[in-house]
Amino acid sequence: MGKILSWTLAVALLGTAMLAAAGPAKAQVERGKQIYEEKCTLCHGSDGKGNGPAASSFSPPPVDFTAPGFWKGDVDKKIADSIENGKGAMPALDLSGKQIREVIDYMKHRFK
Amino acid sequence: MLRRLVRSLFLVLGSLGLVILWPSGRAQGVPSFGRQTGLECSACHTVWPELTPYGRTFKMTGYVMSKSQKIYEFPPPLSGLFQASFTHTDKSQPSGAAPFNSSANDNVNLPQQASVYYAGKILDKLGAFMQFTYDGVSNAFIVDMTDIRFADTTKLGGKPLVYGASFNNAPTMQDVWNTGPVWGFPFASASVAPTPAAAAVIDGTLNQQVGGLGLYGYWNNLLYAEVNFYRTAANGYPQFLSGGTHVTSLVNGVAPYWRLFIQHQWKNQSLMVGHYGMVTQIFPEGETRGNSDTFTDIAFDAQYQYITRKHRFSVASTWIHEIQNLGASYALGNTGNRSNNLDTFRINFNYSYRCPYGTFGGNFAYFNTFGSRDEVLYAPDPVSGSRNGLPNSDGFIIQGIYVPPKWEQAKIVVQYTIYNSFNGARTNYDGFGRNAGDNNTLYILTWLMF
Repeated sequence: MGKILSWTLAVALLGTAMLAAAGPAKAQVERGKQIYEEKCTLCHGSDGKGNGPAASSFSPPPVDFTAPGFWKGDVDKKIADSIENGKGAMPALDLSGKQIREVIDYMKHRFK
Repeated sequence: MLRRLVRSLFLVLGSLGLVILWPSGRAQGVPSFGRQTGLECSACHTVWPELTPYGRTFKMTGYVMSKSQKIYEFPPPLSGLFQASFTHTDKSQPSGAAPFNSSANDNVNLPQQASVYYAGKILDKLGAFMQFTYDGVSNAFIVDMTDIRFADTTKLGGKPLVYGASFNNAPTMQDVWNTGPVWGFPFASASVAPTPAAAAVIDGTLNQQVGGLGLYGYWNNLLYAEVNFYRTAANGYPQFLSGGTHVTSLVNGVAPYWRLFIQHQWKNQSLMVGHYGMVTQIFPEGETRGNSDTFTDIAFDAQYQYITRKHRFSVASTWIHEIQNLGASYALGNTGNRSNNLDTFRINFNYSYRCPYGTFGGNFAYFNTFGSRDEVLYAPDPVSGSRNGLPNSDGFIIQGIYVPPKWEQAKIVVQYTIYNSFNGARTNYDGFGRNAGDNNTLYILTWLMF
């Protein structure tokens, strides 16, 4: 009985660890998607290619998140800094740390 | 008839606006712009109405950027404004001298102003910023600032070119920087306090007195050029643009306006250096035909911005040189000279800090107007006159602002204007014993957009 209980506990712990390692929860990515569609699509486009409805007005154009070069280096910091402080014509956005995290998770899930 | 029409339009739009806007609790700048883009005030403004680079692009592209991607916006892009103010001058004005029959001092204007805006996308590439105002000081309904635009983008030399047309009723209303007469600091000021007698024609004299149609182009986020042609709104097709306003500056023929600037953005900073000007022929006061005076305005301006999420700093400056050919007025005995010059210089420094408790900011400005002596044009008169015939006035403006957290459409302004000189002198400037410092003005304004 004790062995069964121990094995059950071990399996449960292992499963939890595996789920955590699998990445952000689906709900978190979904929240990030909602924020991205509300705040980012206008310039960066729904497909992240920097071709949103307003994109043609900007020079340089909005960043293409599907470009392989975008995902090099400390991307999390790069995205968070742009959202928090703006960059060039891109305005700073009023998002909490949690919301920024959710948007980054969505962008990785969708565009990387 | 036109005043009744403007009043009716105001009431209808206002009622419709209340129905549309009442459930909305989001902080959204000129709120209809915010609803349209899905962005906060701070995306387009440092502290409104000063624009960020994104806000300038939004205006340049015709107010049509929208998250919905529909050809038209529904509900229509309506917003409202309510202002209340308190004005105190260091010395009361003599009985009857205060503008609009106001009290001699300590005037509470509730409202100072109430407005309804139609601001946003009309149809696809056509947008507008239209303001209809009840002026609580003059007790009048007016068609206020109006800018209707068509804009599109193409490529020139492989680089983006934004081009468009603007139909507006105030020279520099269409400008995207905060250096010029319409959108320059202090953005709002007391209308019941004494103000210097002299101002260049391009410096607000023609607001809501003219209608103008022009073309512009903005290339590669670098170079901008515009030409606009204004005519009087006292009659003809632009007449609705002056609805409710008594046209006192009657423009003869067409007045060309031009604007050039070059700008550069890098990381969180932007810098602009520019030039604008206008040539206007105006009939002497009371005349509607015959000879007219000619006013040539040549101006230069510059603005620098540094913007992060918490810190926003900017410097803006303009200098206007006006050449006045006053042959028509001189012949009627309205001026002492056939020609005069008038120069206006302004510079302001602006800083704001955003934190969980709201946005706190301050502004410091210096202004100086100086020009030719003309003892007929600038004659002695209690409060508003000049003892020595000079238009010279200079001084400082110190201002504090507060915008509440999570409610960016409200703003409280405390402004103090200090005059070193007023209408030509520091002491006894009007010839009736009033000093420049007597006109120092404390102005407290609460400003709510919805």
